[in-house]
Amino acid sequence: MAATPTPLEVRNIKKRFGDTEVLKGLSLQAQKGDVITMIGASGSGKSTFLRCMNLLEQPDDGDLIVHGDPIRFKTTKHGREPEDWKQVVQMRAKLSMVFQSFNLWAHMTLLENIIEAPIHVLKKPKKEALEHAHALLDRVGLSARANAYPAQMSGGQQQRGAIARALAMDPEVMLFDEPTSALDPELVGDVLKVMHGLAEEGRTMVVVTHEMSFARDVSSQVIYLHQGLVEEAGPPDQVLGNPQSPRLQQFLAPKY
Amino acid sequence: MTAFMTWLENQLAENSIFTLQTLSYYGDGLTTTVQLVFLSLVIGLIAAVPLAIGRGSKHAWIKWPIFAYTYVFRGTPLLIQLYLIYYGVVFVDGIQETWLWVILEEPFVPALIAFTLNTAAYTTEIFRGAIKSTSKGEIEAARAYGMSPQQTMRRIIIPSAFRRALPAYGNEVIFMLHASAIASVVTIMDLTGAARFVYARFYAPFDAFLFVAAIYLCLTFTILYFFRYLEKKLLAHLQPQNS
Amino acid sequence: MIDLQGYGPRLIEGAGVTIQLAVLSLILAIILGLLTASAKMSRNWLAHRLATLYTTLIRGVPDLVLMMLFFFGGQIGVNMITDWLYYSFDIDIFININAFVAGVVTIGLIFGAYMGETFRGAFMAVDNGQIEAGKAYGMSDGLVFRRVRFPQMMRHALPGLSNNWMVLLKTTALVSVIGLSDMVRVASEASKATREPFTFMIIVALIYLLIASVSEWIFARLQKRYNIGYGEAD
Repeated sequence: MAATPTPLEVRNIKKRFGDTEVLKGLSLQAQKGDVITMIGASGSGKSTFLRCMNLLEQPDDGDLIVHGDPIRFKTTKHGREPEDWKQVVQMRAKLSMVFQSFNLWAHMTLLENIIEAPIHVLKKPKKEALEHAHALLDRVGLSARANAYPAQMSGGQQQRGAIARALAMDPEVMLFDEPTSALDPELVGDVLKVMHGLAEEGRTMVVVTHEMSFARDVSSQVIYLHQGLVEEAGPPDQVLGNPQSPRLQQFLAPKY
Repeated sequence: MTAFMTWLENQLAENSIFTLQTLSYYGDGLTTTVQLVFLSLVIGLIAAVPLAIGRGSKHAWIKWPIFAYTYVFRGTPLLIQLYLIYYGVVFVDGIQETWLWVILEEPFVPALIAFTLNTAAYTTEIFRGAIKSTSKGEIEAARAYGMSPQQTMRRIIIPSAFRRALPAYGNEVIFMLHASAIASVVTIMDLTGAARFVYARFYAPFDAFLFVAAIYLCLTFTILYFFRYLEKKLLAHLQPQNS
Repeated sequence: MIDLQGYGPRLIEGAGVTIQLAVLSLILAIILGLLTASAKMSRNWLAHRLATLYTTLIRGVPDLVLMMLFFFGGQIGVNMITDWLYYSFDIDIFININAFVAGVVTIGLIFGAYMGETFRGAFMAVDNGQIEAGKAYGMSDGLVFRRVRFPQMMRHALPGLSNNWMVLLKTTALVSVIGLSDMVRVASEASKATREPFTFMIIVALIYLLIASVSEWIFARLQKRYNIGYGEAD
């Protein structure tokens, strides 16, 4: 019997798109402070799996338990749907997502982006939200860009801004969907630095990425997905240092 | 043929409004509408090509008058343009004595003039847009192969602009069809004029106007499908490839 | 100086009628447009079919025919309904369809269909990632719509809105045919009375061009405001 409920637990998630079964029964448990990195080839289902965790995709089967609260589903003619969308909305407020294409709201300044959800979803008073926002901007090194619009910022700045926006919600778990894949190589380092800092201060993170350095240096667990199933999982030294399956060995081998 | 007419007459004998007589009004009206629309479109189209080219000319004395013309004719209601020309030709001093009066007396002619000027203005702008949006690459290639500006215009830009203009021009044709109803305001017995006549005679607005509405609907769809067919044939090269 | 032969004040009144008519029709058209767009994008099969039927009919029939249908047919139709109410429920009311109302309703209905297409395109042009981010942060559907979807949609809709307004403005001239005293009708009467069609028609034409220019200026400023934060950087 755990003293505090597990921040995030998913069991046996299955998902099909049309005739193809993309996720064939995936499970994951994130304890407080875990940094779980998911790696795998394109099409292995890792992004889909991540998006099932905050129900941006609806899993056809499986359980989703956030902070000890299981999400209730019902079957409709369109497939499986959450029974109570209010519950989903509350759940999403506890999980923050950082997207590959940043998705900062284009019609708001960076500062407005950061305070938007805390004010309208968490119902925080504006003053409090602003104070917190400024602190976060400082943290990610973007204080000077507080009143800039996303279109006026570089990709790396936008992503760091998106991370600040995610932090503003004080999330239980942070979900990262290939956060550096859309960035020019020079800008990747800045974002990774911020993410390292988050991991070191004990944030619970689930990260889908191609950046092996992140997987190796800061993760508590690495999961290798192949065609919708977990092929290998374990501490980074084990999975990355001593891969068992031939597919993983090939995946990790340098390709020139 | 006579057998069919007799059959039709018997069918309609019950109906007081849709008699053979009134159907003939609608028939004549339809003919007038089609004539009006077709003629104005054709003349307008022919005029629009040189106007569109001139619109992009470097010479201000060519460019600006054309721009003024399209600006005025696209910025004011067609009804005003029709009134201006229809009443205008009547009230111009001395015109009733000239030979022109023979053709101008018939309300059809001023209406045709007004509609032609209107559609020419819109079509000019459509072409202008299509010409302008010719990809620079195509023009550069033409220059690189030694074509003169006139050759480039004639052989490369215009043909490709015609095809690009197709969707917008299809809309213009439909618009002209609908606009032609305005001709009934100056007592021309087009399709709408026939409907107004039947309404005035029998005090049956629904019968009259719903019937012509249905006819216009059919005409609109015919034009729509025709242009879709054209687009399919002529714009095939722009569709994404299916490998 | 141009001699308006006493028709000046009436022309100005007529211009007022034209503008009122246009603005009211615009409001009706925007409301109908938003409804139509959401109907076309909804999963509800019936709403989708009704909206498509509506837009197809409107775009297939000339404006003038619709206007006469509503004006001449409208009074009879409304009378039929009030008669039925009287015979069935003993409710005695008389609704008068005047030309102004018929004009607003017709033009509003016509352009509601076109606005529907404009809004639908604008909604679809909103980047899906923006919506996802909203949902991922725990925003309810209503909140996402209010704070993200609608503001971004308006930016995409403005050019279409402006075009529709320009056409709407010119369509108001048709109400002169059903007897409403807009400026076109005044000019027409004045022309016949004074045998000076050019004077009055040209004045009315100029007023239309003036209203059009002012509208363009307003829309340019609106565009600037809604485009804030876009475009400069790239």
